[in-house]
Amino acid sequence: MEIAAELDEKIINIVSQGVSGRFKKTKITPETHLQKELGLDSIGILAMVFRFEELFSIDIAQLGVDINVAKLKTVSDVIQAARDILNKALLAKQA
Amino acid sequence: MKIIDCHCHIASEEHTPRSFLEGSVKNMVAALSAQGLPVSVKKLMTIFQSKMRDPFGDALVTEMGEAGISKSVLLIADFTYALKDCILTIEESFARHREVLLRHPGKFEVFGGVDPRWGKDGLALFERSLVEFGFRGFKVYPPCGFSPSDPALFPFYELCAHHQLPVLVHIGPTAPVLDFTVSSPFLIDEAARRFPSVNFILAHGAVSFVEECVMLCRFRPNIYLDISGYQSTLGYDPTATAVKKIVSLGINHKVLFGTDFPVFRLQGEQKDFLMPLMSENGALAELSDKEQSLVLHQNVERLLEIGVGAPATQYAIALDMQ
Repeated sequence: MEIAAELDEKIINIVSQGVSGRFKKTKITPETHLQKELGLDSIGILAMVFRFEELFSIDIAQLGVDINVAKLKTVSDVIQAARDILNKALLAKQA
Repeated sequence: MKIIDCHCHIASEEHTPRSFLEGSVKNMVAALSAQGLPVSVKKLMTIFQSKMRDPFGDALVTEMGEAGISKSVLLIADFTYALKDCILTIEESFARHREVLLRHPGKFEVFGGVDPRWGKDGLALFERSLVEFGFRGFKVYPPCGFSPSDPALFPFYELCAHHQLPVLVHIGPTAPVLDFTVSSPFLIDEAARRFPSVNFILAHGAVSFVEECVMLCRFRPNIYLDISGYQSTLGYDPTATAVKKIVSLGINHKVLFGTDFPVFRLQGEQKDFLMPLMSENGALAELSDKEQSLVLHQNVERLLEIGVGAPATQYAIALDMQ
């Protein structure tokens, strides 16, 4: 649970790095909507994906994961996607 | 509420060459690299290309269903003269679109586009598309290197006048491999004057050269605009103020709903783009039912004569609105 909470916090931090302007003061929770409440467009969401890769030293394409960026609507979606990717990365490492 | 999307494309590299996509991706790379992110054109192209694998329109039809869009207009932009890495010839592209029309009966209309520099062969192809394939309009893409009022286009406009079909013209920015100097809406003015019975639709008029487009719509009976591309504003303005503004200017008889699918596929699905317009506080919320109907389907139906009796003249349309 602690590790999960730590991951959630890291993901929320990654998300917040891409928020600017009038959305900067929005409190980010798992329910927060990426576009409506944080103003993240496709560039913002892609930036988030690349920051994730950088932080966890992962190449998502090499894992064979097909992220449907358009389906990432809320912070919770991003956290779930991150968990899935990290699990796949762990399995790939163990294989 | 019935919805017709007047501006879509088949999501396939068969119709949009790599050089076009790469150019667009380079803009994204510039933005992301400025944030210090290790991004490459190759990496982003992979993500982009994953959204360009719908050669038969199947995914688009699914998204239309989920969004409540009953019909979409597929536009063929002819890049084959300007860009040398097109996979298909323009004839082959037309044939593919015909296949999609037949594959999904009642779901699509097609506007064929031909670069006027293809000469008589291009004109013959366009005419054939109207007479044999059932295409319903003409798509003009000036950034390929010609003005929309280039006399070489007049035979095409004459065909449109003869068949009473509209012309949809790209205005504003596009992929950096193409020419932005011919993308001003005022360049259509001569054609609109010479062909008063042909209706011209200014694509992306809610987000590019907005003032000019509104002026042309207001004062030229045969000029319209579509709102496709409004999704580019949703990042910093989730309430779609750009659309709200356009529909508050008294020209709703000239405004057409469009999404420019698949350009914004990384951002969301068709249903996601309708929410900022149709929700309780959405951009169309303050319109009457009649005006919403005009924007969402009746204007384009009138231009295409779908489900309407004899087409109204432009003057009669203006009178109806008073």
